[in-house]
Amino acid sequence: MNIENRKRELAKEFSPMLEKTTKTSKIWIGFLIAVILVGVYAFFVQLFKGHIVTGMRDNVVWGIYIINFIFFVCLSYSGAFISGILHFFKTPWKNSVSRIVEIITVLSLIIGPIFILLCIGRLDRLHYLFIYPRIQSPITWDIIAIMTDLIGCFIYLYLTFIPDFAILRDNSENASKWRQKVYKFLAIGYQDTTTQREKLHKITRTMSAMVIALAIVAYSVLAWIFSLTLQPGWNSSIFAPYFIIAGLYSGIGVIIIAMYLIRKYYHLEHYIRKVHFIGAGIILLVVSLLFGYFTFSEYFSRWFSHKIHDTNLLNTLFTRYFWVFIFANYIGVLVPIVILFFKKFRTIKSITFAAIVAVIGLWFNRYLIVVPTLETPYLPIQDTREEFVHYTATWIEWALSFAGVAAFILFFILIMKLVPVIPMSGIIDNEREQKMSKKSFKKIVTE
Amino acid sequence: MKSINYKYTIITSLLIAFLFSFNGFSQEDEATDASSYKMRFNFKTVKQYDNSRLLEVSFIGQNKKDRKDKIPVFDAVIKFYNNDNLLGESKTSDEGIAQFAVPGNQIYITDEDGYINLTAKFEGSDGLDEEEEEIQVKDLFLELNLEEIDSVKTVLVKAFTIDSLGVEIPLEEADLIISVGGMISKMKLEEGTIEDGEFEFEFPTDIPGDVNGDILVYSIITDNDDFGNVIQQKTVNWGNIKTKIVKEDNKLWSEAAPIWMYIVLTILLVGVWANYLYTAINLFKIKKEGKEIELKETELNTEH
Repeated sequence: MNIENRKRELAKEFSPMLEKTTKTSKIWIGFLIAVILVGVYAFFVQLFKGHIVTGMRDNVVWGIYIINFIFFVCLSYSGAFISGILHFFKTPWKNSVSRIVEIITVLSLIIGPIFILLCIGRLDRLHYLFIYPRIQSPITWDIIAIMTDLIGCFIYLYLTFIPDFAILRDNSENASKWRQKVYKFLAIGYQDTTTQREKLHKITRTMSAMVIALAIVAYSVLAWIFSLTLQPGWNSSIFAPYFIIAGLYSGIGVIIIAMYLIRKYYHLEHYIRKVHFIGAGIILLVVSLLFGYFTFSEYFSRWFSHKIHDTNLLNTLFTRYFWVFIFANYIGVLVPIVILFFKKFRTIKSITFAAIVAVIGLWFNRYLIVVPTLETPYLPIQDTREEFVHYTATWIEWALSFAGVAAFILFFILIMKLVPVIPMSGIIDNEREQKMSKKSFKKIVTE
Repeated sequence: MKSINYKYTIITSLLIAFLFSFNGFSQEDEATDASSYKMRFNFKTVKQYDNSRLLEVSFIGQNKKDRKDKIPVFDAVIKFYNNDNLLGESKTSDEGIAQFAVPGNQIYITDEDGYINLTAKFEGSDGLDEEEEEIQVKDLFLELNLEEIDSVKTVLVKAFTIDSLGVEIPLEEADLIISVGGMISKMKLEEGTIEDGEFEFEFPTDIPGDVNGDILVYSIITDNDDFGNVIQQKTVNWGNIKTKIVKEDNKLWSEAAPIWMYIVLTILLVGVWANYLYTAINLFKIKKEGKEIELKETELNTEH
């Protein structure tokens, strides 16, 4: 088959997805914009009235902003990790999910750090972090790690987009002019020649290895922000690997949910098949077992040590946060394990359900890491108002959190309007490789 | 010091209840016998550096059989007299100590030999009998001079009494202690004897002093028969501070980060950014090749 014709076919197949916007998607986009606007309003309220409008006080200085930050950044790192693995080891079914993973990686790395900015009381002093950095501070490491990782992920995402931009540039005669210009600019003269292809494959492969390493380093740094303090519940030597496993757990969960929604909404049953869900489900099963093991190990050692502050923390977890604890560490782990362990339960819907439970459970797990620890400090505040000791998120914080999620989904949709969610170049590469292996097989047989 | 001790034996049956109520001892401890306690009423005087005189009474009950068993009498009113002239009164503390400071400008009644007769008196209560002790001291003046003589830091002490005509009479002989103030107590530097009213001492050069190099120097006469306790003090900037140069190790909380941290971070960042650069160079090469192909195609199209 002529490759140019195949490219044309694929461009034709995916162009409605890029160019046409249905009524449902318009309503959906409108809804997302509305949620974001509520978030923008909440932001201005917070900006003008200060952090008093949030639930954060002297005792609990970090609330759901930091939880969202960790959640999104973890999502990004796990996305980078998974994407790197898929590319580096040339996983057979990578083509259907790789772009979803890459988009998740970059978007969550953009959305996540915004929550840190919302958490900072004196935004006007933000530049001090860059003017007076302390290399020995984990916060500085995190800034360096996030910025380096963000740039790396952008480059990596762009590399994987280039061949598709080139296909769209050459086959979008009927597309709008701005779109043609954008494709031409972003395709940087890629003509899919052998040398160009080899060069691109080589740098993509190097970058995929790089993002795996970056994800591990950056993720560990994020965990060290907590574990290098002496706070009960944070000061743990296994926090870095625990964070990596937890991140992978949420990352795979979000990927499965995204796969389900994209498959259903864009009718991509032909590309995103049951086998992809089962593959992702089994990885989720393995990671959930690991996550469960780490969680048990973490709490078991705290309980067994009988240190007074750890005991106080565990008492808080089993009283005030009893149901959250049960959901995060029992339901959030055991339900996905039960669903994914038995073969007969492994349907697309049940795997997606398991992923949803895992993601929500993990968000609560993050909540339990941040808030109860801050509520049980070494020197407790006494004789003060309840709201100064305990934390409850206000509508401002919820509005901004949902705005973050809405922005994530909106940007995802907008990127899918720019490039197909299934890499066309990947399909062609697969077909080309199949053709080559057939040829060589034929050659062996005839010889 | 001429001291007349009037010791009274406690007989009253109320004593034990009185003492034990002070100390929170169990009232039910009926095994304790009241007569087994002996009252110790000690009176002393200290002439201080500003010429004021501290009068101090220690009022303690001591078990006759077990001498370690001591019970202070607190809140007992002690009156201090110079002959029959009441100087003031004070209550004993939780430790059984009553103190009263007589100002430096107080004019005392003295006998023909120049002795001041001081009396401390407890007038008794329902539970305790009257106690009284008398001491006789002469008013001694101590002058402490701290001078550098030929670059030698020298402590000069002058001790004298003043007779009725106002003439200074040097002290013939008395034991003297030179101390410096420390954080918890005084540190003794020298023990010597004042002769003909004077004492000289070469101050050591290795006393660090406080943060500013200041040293509080004391000259003390203790338990002298004629003068009681006399203290004089002066502050001088003779401290020899040797600032300890502490080499700061590279720690996470020190000014500079540990060297290994800079090295690791540099290797990591250089490695990563070099890869970004390598990627960017390759992208430019791809772009360049694309442009060349485009040019060739344009040329071919124009030829056709």
